Amino acid sequence: MSSAGSSLVTGVSAMNNKIREYRAKYNLTQEDLAQRVKVRRETIVFLEKNKYNPSLKLAYDLAKVFSVAIEELFLFEDETGMD
Amino acid sequence: MKRTIIIFMLAALVLATCAIWFLTSGVSFEWMGLLQPFVIIFVVVLGLFFGIRRLRSVRRGEPAEDELSKKISVKTASVSYYVSIYLWLAVMYFSDKVQMEVHTMIGTGIIGMAVIYVLCWLFFSYRGIRNE
Repeated sequence: MSSAGSSLVTGVSAMNNKIREYRAKYNLTQEDLAQRVKVRRETIVFLEKNKYNPSLKLAYDLAKVFSVAIEELFLFEDETGMD
Repeated sequence: MKRTIIIFMLAALVLATCAIWFLTSGVSFEWMGLLQPFVIIFVVVLGLFFGIRRLRSVRRGEPAEDELSKKISVKTASVSYYVSIYLWLAVMYFSDKVQMEVHTMIGTGIIGMAVIYVLCWLFFSYRGIRNE
């Protein structure tokens, strides 16, 4: 076990999401979802393509629309392992 | 909505000014003489594009700007500013090597900055902003 100070996360966490999956489950269009969370439709498109990481507030609003926890909707994947 | 109207008014003003200048200056039809008006028209058309885009968003009931569009604007502004510094260095370097009047060179630099901004905006609009 490495000592404190020498244990570093060397990679960047990538974030995926299940927005498209939940949107299909709730039968919502991208425009419907965008209107509910008060963003542009392009933002939903970029989120689904993993081209944008949302702010905490937007992530919370999206999770609230689908009645799930944020960590169920957004998945962090470490690109390298932690020491 | 007000900002959209302002964009359209500015575009119309610039186009009208260009048209008046073009018709009254007696400019000859040489490609170099037409290049600058064409670049100005290109910038105006892009302004119209942004204005129409905003108008469509408002009609759809979407906000004209949201967190992603603001982040893209900020990122575009910072990167295009950084690149523009090198553009002006190049303009300074070539200023005594090229036979061009000072105001023409300055105008070319300003138009170059606008083109750089548009290219950066297109790049970040396509690529998105991740992990920032």
